[in-house]
Amino acid sequence: MNPGLKLLLVMAIALEISFTQSLIVNVILICVSFIYILFNRVTFKALIGLIFWPLFPALGLFVSQWLYGSAGIHFAWILFTRIYAYVFLGATFTLTSSITDLALTLEQDFRLPSKFAYGVLAAFNLMPKINEEVQIIKTSALMRGEALHFWSPKLYFKAILSSIQWSQNLAEAMTSHGFVEDQGRTHYRVIKITAMDWVWFIGLFGIVQVLLFFIRY
Amino acid sequence: MRKFSLKDVITLTLIALFFGVIYWILGPIYTTLTAALTPFGLAPAANDILEGVWVMAGPLAGLLFRVPGSATLVETLASIVEMFIGGQFGAAAVIAGLVQGAGAELGYLVTGYKVWNWLSLSLSVIFVTVVTFIREMIFYGYSKYSLGLLVMLFIIRLVSTFIFSGVINMMIVKMLQRSHVVSN
Repeated sequence: MNPGLKLLLVMAIALEISFTQSLIVNVILICVSFIYILFNRVTFKALIGLIFWPLFPALGLFVSQWLYGSAGIHFAWILFTRIYAYVFLGATFTLTSSITDLALTLEQDFRLPSKFAYGVLAAFNLMPKINEEVQIIKTSALMRGEALHFWSPKLYFKAILSSIQWSQNLAEAMTSHGFVEDQGRTHYRVIKITAMDWVWFIGLFGIVQVLLFFIRY
Repeated sequence: MRKFSLKDVITLTLIALFFGVIYWILGPIYTTLTAALTPFGLAPAANDILEGVWVMAGPLAGLLFRVPGSATLVETLASIVEMFIGGQFGAAAVIAGLVQGAGAELGYLVTGYKVWNWLSLSLSVIFVTVVTFIREMIFYGYSKYSLGLLVMLFIIRLVSTFIFSGVINMMIVKMLQRSHVVSN
């Protein structure tokens, strides 16, 4: 399925289950997403992570709603399953799509200006360097006997300095490779939204509407 | 009114990524805090205590870039990044990012994108607090709590957002201004 449409679908469903309250639909969504993920060769470690980490907020909300909520245990279960529905719906997208494909389709099919698509992509590929830079900032502060924490303005200050400096270099590099802002582009890799994509999108979205309409528990 | 250039887009994305990495450090703290408060049924408070850190990027980007849409864009980007790294909230993270970005944006919007000081920053902080709290009422069932608990959670969130997205953001901006990276 086209990554742009897929993200739209996942977000639309996530938004819808936030406004409706159906325990069974939540469970169905979790199961369907889970099976879909399994078919997409997810690593065992990633799967365990998907199940384990959301347990904390889900359990936290459950207990809190159970003890202090006015809507009883059924609503507590809805919230518990809602967290997992969000996570598994998100995973059906992130585990099967790359940010490159998303950027390309947003530019080609959703009319996103190319400077946004390629600018974001260029920056995103610096991710490993960003991890490194945060470590460098912290270590060099430690050398001066200063520990930087998430509440230290200096940590953010230095991170922003690096961002500004790197973006200057990246933008110049892109321009020197022939990137011109606000100019029409031809594409080496063409991503289209096919009729089949629309069938899946409308079909799946329709099924969720029907389920939410008939299953109120 | 200035528009986004390629360099702005790259800078905003890099800032979003940097904040994403710093939030990553926060993950274990959030998990520990949530686990510790769960037996008392107060786990949502963990969310409210740390909320101010998670929404920092929006008000900050608004004040630094002074381009309409900066706050929304940076928060949306940060949430997409968070979803790809595998945050705890999956698909909801992107919706959450859009909401808190738009909330932060409101502070600058209501001042007509003309006021760039503590006033618009404070407005941004207040809007982001209110808007994200409404989001929690819907998404995470806050609306079913008693009024007392709601008031307590709201005050925690306001104080946290004021400290991190207000005071600390202002300190960051002052540092950048002193080093002449951004104009006054």
